[in-house]
Amino acid sequence: MDAWLEFARGPLFRLSFGVMMLGLLRVLLLDLYGAWEAYRRAGDKTLPWGYIIRRTLVWFFPINKVFKGRPFYSICSILFHIGLILVPVLLFAHIQLWESGVGISWPALPKPVADWLTISTIVFALALFIGRSFSRTSSFLSRKQDYLWPLLLLLPFVTGYVCANMSVGASTYQVTMLIHILSAELIFVLLPFTKIAHCILLPFSQFVSCVAWRFPADTDDAVCTTLNKKGAPV
Amino acid sequence: MRTNQISAEQREKAFVSARKPEVMEKQKLDVRYHVEDFDVNDRPRRFLEAFAAILKHSNYRVALDHFIRVSAKCSRCATTCQVYQATGDPKDIPCYRSELLLSVYRRHFTMGGMLRGRVAGTGHLTDEKVQEMADSFYDCTACRRCNHECPSGIDHGLITHLGRYILSEIGIAPRALVVSTREQLEGASGNTSAIPVPALIDTLEFLSEDMLEEKHVNIAFPLDVEGSEFVFFPAVSDFLMEAETLMGIAAVFTATGDSWTTGTGYFDGINYGLFYSDRILERVVKKIDNETRRLKGKKVLIGECGHASRSAKQFLPIYCGGDKALPVINIMEYTHKVWKEGRLKLDPNVITEKVAYHDPCNIARQGWIIDKPRELLKAFCKDYVELTPNGEDAVCCGGGGGTVSIDEIRPYRTMVGGKVKADQIRESGCKILVAPCANCKKQLKELVEDQKIDCEVAGLHDLIYKAIIFDDSLKVSPDEKQTGEEE
Repeated sequence: MDAWLEFARGPLFRLSFGVMMLGLLRVLLLDLYGAWEAYRRAGDKTLPWGYIIRRTLVWFFPINKVFKGRPFYSICSILFHIGLILVPVLLFAHIQLWESGVGISWPALPKPVADWLTISTIVFALALFIGRSFSRTSSFLSRKQDYLWPLLLLLPFVTGYVCANMSVGASTYQVTMLIHILSAELIFVLLPFTKIAHCILLPFSQFVSCVAWRFPADTDDAVCTTLNKKGAPV
Repeated sequence: MRTNQISAEQREKAFVSARKPEVMEKQKLDVRYHVEDFDVNDRPRRFLEAFAAILKHSNYRVALDHFIRVSAKCSRCATTCQVYQATGDPKDIPCYRSELLLSVYRRHFTMGGMLRGRVAGTGHLTDEKVQEMADSFYDCTACRRCNHECPSGIDHGLITHLGRYILSEIGIAPRALVVSTREQLEGASGNTSAIPVPALIDTLEFLSEDMLEEKHVNIAFPLDVEGSEFVFFPAVSDFLMEAETLMGIAAVFTATGDSWTTGTGYFDGINYGLFYSDRILERVVKKIDNETRRLKGKKVLIGECGHASRSAKQFLPIYCGGDKALPVINIMEYTHKVWKEGRLKLDPNVITEKVAYHDPCNIARQGWIIDKPRELLKAFCKDYVELTPNGEDAVCCGGGGGTVSIDEIRPYRTMVGGKVKADQIRESGCKILVAPCANCKKQLKELVEDQKIDCEVAGLHDLIYKAIIFDDSLKVSPDEKQTGEEE
C-alpha cells in the first residue's frame, strides 16, 4: 500500500498535474489566439472595454445576481465554488507537501476554517447535485458530465476530511488517502477537457463575445464566392 | 412558482399556424412563419456547407469554441427569458436553443467531435434537427437579456443570430423579411416599405402643412441638402405609420436651426440583415454610408428605431472604414444634447397623463442610451413612472429580432413573446408608453390591443412635438401664412 501511495503522490501526481496545467494552458492559448485572429480580421477594432470589464466583474462578485433568479441554487453555487477553490490551494497539509517537494510555500487557512469550508463544499456539492436532478429546467439541459462532476468533486473532499479529522485505523487511512489522491488526480486530468475548463476561460467570455460581434469587413462577397452564389438575387 | 405561464387555451391560440398544411408538407418545414419555396433536398449537407463558408469568412469560430468549452448548463437563463416564462416549455430555454447549433458545431467542426462521431457513428446533423432550428431560432426575440444572466457569459443572441444566418443561406428565412429586403436592395423604390420618392415628397409636404396649421411655424423636411450636419435615416415605415414621430423630429431641428437632410437616393434605416443575414446587413449598411457620402453629410442620424440604430452604430464602422467611418448618432442623443444646451424648450404642462418609458433592446441592452430619454421625459411629463426591470435589464416588447414584421405570428408575439411586457405595463399603470423604436411601437400597439390594456403607445418625439415651445421669431403670422399658402 505504501508503494501505491508513493506512486500516487509522486509520478502520478506530477503527470496529472502536468496534464492539467498544460491542458489549461492549451485551451487558454487557443482561446486567446482565436480572439487575436478575430480581432486582426475585424472591420472595426474599437472594443467596448468598459462594458467588457464591468460585465466580467459582475460574475466574479455575483452578490447582486443572487436574488435575481434561482436564489437557493445561486447561493449553493457561490458557496460551493468558494470552498472548492480555497481549500485545495490554502490547506496547510497541501502547502506542506509543496514545501517539502519544491520548496515553495504560502500562507494557509486556519484549520477550523479549512474544516468548515470542506464541510460546506461537501454539503453544497450535494445540494447542487440534488438541485440539478430535481430542477425541471436544469435536468432538461443536463448532460452526463453535469451530474458526474459534483459527485466526482465530492470524493477528494470527503476523503480528505476523513483523513484529517477522523481517527481511523492505519489501513483504512491509507486506502482513504489513496482514494483522496487518485480522485484529485482524475479531476486534474479531466479538467481541461470538460466544462471545468471554465476555471481558466471564464474571465474571457465577455471579451470573446464582443470580438466575435466585430465582423470582418466585406464578407458578403467572400461568402457568396465560397457558396457559389455570386450575383444571385436576394 | 412561475406566474407568467400562459393557459392551455391561450397556448392553443398563440401557436396556431397560418400556413397551409400542404405548403408545410411540400417545404418539409413545420414552422409558423411563411417561407418562400426553396430546395428541400439535402438540407443537412447544404446547411453544413453554408456553416463552413460562414465560419471561414467570419469571427464566429472563436465564440463557438469558447462557448462549447465553458457551457455549464445551469439553466439560469430560463429565469430571465420572457418566452420561456410564458410557455414553460424547456425547449424555449435559451441554453437549449443555443445547444442546437453548438452541438452541430461540436460534432462537425471540432476535432474531438469529428473523432467521437466517427467512432460512435452518431450525432450527425439530420433533417429533423435543421427543422428544429428553423422553428426554434424564430421563437426567440433576440433580446439578448439571457446574455446578462449567463454566469458563463454565453451570448445566446450571437448564436441565434448565426443560426438564422446559416438557415437563410439554405433558403429558410421568414418571407416577410426577405420580400422587404428584396425591395430595399433590388426593387425600384429602394426601401422596405416600397415608398416611391414622389410619394415621400408628397407625404413630407403634407406633414409640413399640417404642422404649419397646428404650430404656426414653418417646419420643413429638407431634402437632398448637400453638406448637412446630419443625414437622416428613420425606419422608413415611420413615413406611413408614425408621422407624429417624424413631425417631432422636424420640429426639434426647426427650433434649433441645425442642418439636417433626408436623401432621396436612400432614406431607409431599416436593416433586416441584423435579424437574418450578415450579407444583407453589410449591403444595407453600405447603402446608408453611400447616401451620406453622396450628400457630403457629416454624421449619420438614425430615427426612433432600435435595430436601425444598432445596425448602423455597430456595423457602419465594421463595413465602412473602421475608425474612419462616419459617426452614427440616434435622434434621442441629439435631442437630449440640444435640450441640455438650452436650445430646446418644452412645456411641462402639456403631458399630464402617467408616462412610462420602454427601453428598446438594441438601444439599451449594452448600456448605449438609457438615461437621456428619461431625463427628457421627466423634464416635461408631470407623472413619470418606471417599468421594472428597465435599462440594461429591460424586458423585450416581444417582437424583437424581426419577429414583429412577421404578421402571421401576431398571436404568438402578443400572447407569448409580449406576455411579460404586458404584465409590466399593466403593473405600472401608465397611460402613455413611450417606445422610441418602430419595431417596439408596432408590437406594443398590437400587444395593448390584444391584451386589452388601456394604454397609448407613442414615440418620444410624438410627445416632444406636443410640448415643444417655439421661439416667437419662428412663428408665422396668419397673414404670412395666407400669403405662403397662395404662393
